[in-house]
Amino acid sequence: MGVFSEAVEVICSPAGQPLRLRWQGRSYRIVAEPVRWYERRKWWAEELRAERGRGAGLVDHEIWRVQARLNGRSQIRTLDLSHQVDADRWRLIRVHDAVRELSA
Amino acid sequence: MSFTHLHVSTAFSAHYGVSWPDELAGAAASFGADALACTDRDGLYGTVKHIKACLAVGIDPIVGVDLAVQDDSGRDTGRVVVLAHGGNQGNGYHALCRLISAAHDGTAGSGRGSRHRTPGVTLEQLARHVGTPDGGPALTVLLGPMSELGQALRRRSYAEARRLAGHWCTVLPVGSLAMEIVSHLSAPGENLSTAHAVRMLNLAGELKIPAVLTNAVRYCEEDGAATADVLDSARALTALSKLPDLQPSAQGWLKAPAQMQALAREIVQAAGGGSRDVHRLLSMTEAVADRCRMDPYQDMGFKHPVVPEATVIGIDGEPLTELLQRCETGIAERFGGISGRAEQELRDRLAHELGIISRLGFASYFLTVAEVSRMITGMGVRASARGSGASSLVNYLLYISHVNPLAHGLIFERFLSQDRSTLPDIDIDVESAERHNVYQKIFDRFGSERVTLMSMQNGYRARGAVRDAGLALGLPEDEISGIAKQLWRFSARKFREAMAEKPELRAFSAQVEQNQQLDLLVDLTERLDRLPRHISMHPCGVILGDTSLLDRTPTQPSGLGLPMSQFDKHDMDPMGMLKLDVLGVRMQSSMAYALAEIARIHPNKEAVTAAGKHPVGEDGEGPSYIAANGTINLEQVPLDDEPTYELIRSTHTLGCFQIESPGQRELVGKMAPRDFNDLIIDISLFRPGPMQSDMVRPFLEQRHGWAPERFPHPDLIPVLKETHGVTVFHEQVLRTFDVFTGCGLAKADEFRRLLGNEEAEPAVEDYFRKASLDRGYPPEVVDTVWTTLKSFGSFGFCKAHGAAFAVPTYQTAWLKAHHPEAFLAGLWQHDPGMYPRRLLVAEARRLGIPILPLDINRSAGRYLVERVSSETGEKLGIRLSLADIFGLSAAELQRIVAGQPYESLADLRARGKVSKPTLKRLAQLGAFDELNRATGQRGGRAASRTDLVYHLDQPTARPVPKRYQPIEGQLSLPLGDLELRNLVPVFPEPTAVDMVRTELDLLSIDASSHLMESYAPLLAKLGVTPAKDLLGLRNGSEVMVAGIRVATQTPPMRGGRRVVFISVDDGTGCVDATFFQEAQERSGSLLFGTELLLIRGLTRRTGPKGIGLQALEAWDLSDAASLPLPGNAVRPEPPHVRTPAASSAAPPAGPLSTGELARRMAEEGLDNRGPAEPWLAGSRSSRA
Repeated sequence: MGVFSEAVEVICSPAGQPLRLRWQGRSYRIVAEPVRWYERRKWWAEELRAERGRGAGLVDHEIWRVQARLNGRSQIRTLDLSHQVDADRWRLIRVHDAVRELSA
Repeated sequence: MSFTHLHVSTAFSAHYGVSWPDELAGAAASFGADALACTDRDGLYGTVKHIKACLAVGIDPIVGVDLAVQDDSGRDTGRVVVLAHGGNQGNGYHALCRLISAAHDGTAGSGRGSRHRTPGVTLEQLARHVGTPDGGPALTVLLGPMSELGQALRRRSYAEARRLAGHWCTVLPVGSLAMEIVSHLSAPGENLSTAHAVRMLNLAGELKIPAVLTNAVRYCEEDGAATADVLDSARALTALSKLPDLQPSAQGWLKAPAQMQALAREIVQAAGGGSRDVHRLLSMTEAVADRCRMDPYQDMGFKHPVVPEATVIGIDGEPLTELLQRCETGIAERFGGISGRAEQELRDRLAHELGIISRLGFASYFLTVAEVSRMITGMGVRASARGSGASSLVNYLLYISHVNPLAHGLIFERFLSQDRSTLPDIDIDVESAERHNVYQKIFDRFGSERVTLMSMQNGYRARGAVRDAGLALGLPEDEISGIAKQLWRFSARKFREAMAEKPELRAFSAQVEQNQQLDLLVDLTERLDRLPRHISMHPCGVILGDTSLLDRTPTQPSGLGLPMSQFDKHDMDPMGMLKLDVLGVRMQSSMAYALAEIARIHPNKEAVTAAGKHPVGEDGEGPSYIAANGTINLEQVPLDDEPTYELIRSTHTLGCFQIESPGQRELVGKMAPRDFNDLIIDISLFRPGPMQSDMVRPFLEQRHGWAPERFPHPDLIPVLKETHGVTVFHEQVLRTFDVFTGCGLAKADEFRRLLGNEEAEPAVEDYFRKASLDRGYPPEVVDTVWTTLKSFGSFGFCKAHGAAFAVPTYQTAWLKAHHPEAFLAGLWQHDPGMYPRRLLVAEARRLGIPILPLDINRSAGRYLVERVSSETGEKLGIRLSLADIFGLSAAELQRIVAGQPYESLADLRARGKVSKPTLKRLAQLGAFDELNRATGQRGGRAASRTDLVYHLDQPTARPVPKRYQPIEGQLSLPLGDLELRNLVPVFPEPTAVDMVRTELDLLSIDASSHLMESYAPLLAKLGVTPAKDLLGLRNGSEVMVAGIRVATQTPPMRGGRRVVFISVDDGTGCVDATFFQEAQERSGSLLFGTELLLIRGLTRRTGPKGIGLQALEAWDLSDAASLPLPGNAVRPEPPHVRTPAASSAAPPAGPLSTGELARRMAEEGLDNRGPAEPWLAGSRSSRA
């Protein structure tokens, strides 16, 4: 499993659920119902400020685990995307081991 | 469909909840919710505020608690929410109160990490409280994700979860249990994940347990999550980075109904259910909410005053009849022989008061307070009523208060009127040393089912907030301490603002620019501001009720061990609780001590009369207030003693109640009080309000005859005569309203309360103008009078308060004028004032009272007045007490005193069993000097104190074998002290400087000489002027002064520039220095951190006997290199000095204006004499 962080573009349904994403210039289709949760951040180490009234997104961020593939023939990959809700920015934060994911 | 939140912690869940009840209720109402629960952790701390907030926004309150469940060994197994059922005449609420009290039974009063058990209940206890006598449940228990069962499901221990659920269903009454489904949408596998919620929901379905949805709310909005993290860290005393159980996500906010409904769908779908299941979950939530809607009035007795049953105080008949009879008795005793018009006036007043009391049904309230008062006096404890209670003739006749309201024009309506149905406040000051005994006695007298202490909420202030924020960030402790020390009285919420403005934070500001972590520190400190940290025993509130009291408030042990209510003073009125303020006042203890010392040292009345220079009278018998055995009855001392007023006018009032602060010394100097009424006025004037609205200057000018008295209208002459036309008292406002509008005094008091209230004041103004014009007052007079009333606002002083305060003020001044030795001994003993004890020791030195050193055979465990002979004959001195020696244990002290006198060190070791370090300290402090002189001398030079200390420092000789030790009762040979006699004199006596250092280290006072004396050569070089010589200088002279800081005060910043007042003591007196902005800039961190100060400034005369200093610059006297001495480099200007925009902004060097004086009083905190925070009055305000 690779852990890194890279900006990606995500296209969502009207309900806010990811449908497609663009990563490294290629477009992926999301093939299964994605799973969403919120994960806390070590904001005290990562942020410079935590002023009152800062709002959402300081202490946790939205994570979507999606299964995506380039086209009908390519392998399905499991990706974790973090969504910065206030700025509507998406980052790819984890790419799961494809083999293990497929065998699961 | 709406959604009702059933699990909500408010900020009153200390170190857990983030949001205030009114924020939460406001948010819920804005979502269209019609009910909201408050389920604070471990108690009903926020409940009454919640009720008020719900009533204000028109939604139904739900009341509950978030409680730990424990196994039989007291180990926490998890937490549940317990909600009270409503609409059942209080059954649910009462059961909840009793349950919470049971949860706290046997817990420690206070303090983290003690060995006592933590609050919680067993399942069996829970079951006992849930049921009602008639069978149906009174409470609903929510079994949620943090319960033992919920945690089992988190671990997927399905079998254990089923077993637990089965057990709970068996033990709890039918229909009292529900499963609480919560998802904070955290990652799968974590607490509060949707998967976790799904397992809870499935189990509920399987076992047919109703399920409800909550969001386990800790904050009103998403923004509160970071604050919750910091609170978790503070609760665990662990840095965030090391905290294992932080909230898994930040979703515990008060979500809107639509969001909760979406959440319900998400959980149900994940559980494989459909829309009917969603509906079932949401409607079950509403069903539980519905049965828990509280009727504050029917269920909780909201606004319904309850007093003890009359039978408890021994009254079988009608309380009002009893009250009438007691008032008659009081008239005979207090007003014996009254007749004619005076009697008519008295009778009218009494009938008026009794009419109101009868209409409100408060007769038994007065009888109750009278009973408490009688009980305290019966214990032989000094007591003095304070507050508006002095306005009542009934109180005077019942001996609750000791001020005759008719003599001082005090108005009953200021205390109680038919328009106010809340129980009035009566406050009683007692000797602080006796306070706990008094409390115990009240519990004994009324029964523990009717009495509990009141609590108070302690919130974060700047220093505590910065410490806990630093802890959360894992900053080093000494770094945090360093920062905390620089924080000086500002609201933590304004930290960033303060950094920009305050010179002492300049260095810190610069650090913040360098260090990003400090930026976070500032943000987190601001977040913590004002949040409740814990409750503690209120310093004076005692709640009295009938046998239903413990159904109406949960209690928990206080630090004293006596039970304390979870409600604070703001909750008393809404909950109809009768609160008595029994305040321990150290000054009362000091006075009692002084009186006892006077009686002890003088054999009889004659001796006391002579020593105190009291008038012997025509018959030569001495005054009637002194008993034959020399006991003084302070209450009977006439209030017109000239030497007492002379002392007050001299401004040497250190130690005198209410008039010892720098600002008050300045005011008494200006005002020069001549009689008791002057003292009442002085105390009433010394408040920020009167000062700021410029009441003092015209008052003083007219008083001294520099300006003619002016009255807006002749009709007001009787009202304003005593204060020369200036409105000072609430009573005068009331009468002014009444004279101009004929509204009656009760209505007038209502109007007074509305003054200064932006919303209500215009209506008062309309009424006032219309009614007084209708009564024929000319428009321009109406204008003038309204302006006065308006500017008076609500800040004037109740004359009854002033009168009640003036009594101990006068009494302390009287004691100081006549028996200064006993008076000072009392002050040293009980340490009552705003200054450190060493300043009062310096005051004794200034008065020429010998300060007698510690002596192992003469010093006791207290400060004794002692006769000493001097060249000028016999005088009285004060012997230092052994009790305040650093490190001397109470047991050692007791043994030493019990064994006195000692004839040798060996004797002391044998009988006093004193530890070696104590022995050495005693020697260092000279406690053996006398013994050494008496027995140690052999022919030539005696060994010095240094020799003795050196000797005692040597390793101890082996103890004598048992068989050679003297047997009990065996007399030793009268050989004197062989040990001392055999000491070989080697070292010289310690120098005066060394002795003073030792004394400061071990006693915190400089007894043998003033600390500043050791700086004499340096001060001479610097050209420093002693404090006592300042009065002889011209106004505006530039001088250098030096001394030890004894008081530091800053008024709150109110838009204007801050002024800092620093008082230093140089041994000849106190210098009060005022630092304006520019001087603060120059002095920087010296302002608050330095003990020994050198100050350059300009003298400014404040009155015939008063002089102060306007500071220009300050130095740290102990940092010799920085001082402006020849040879030292001139100190460079600090880099950040902001040149004031215009130098004219710096105030002129002339006399301080009343506005500036006003700021000084604001910072002296004298507002706390008002009813708001009465316990602070007379207690220390700030210490350097």
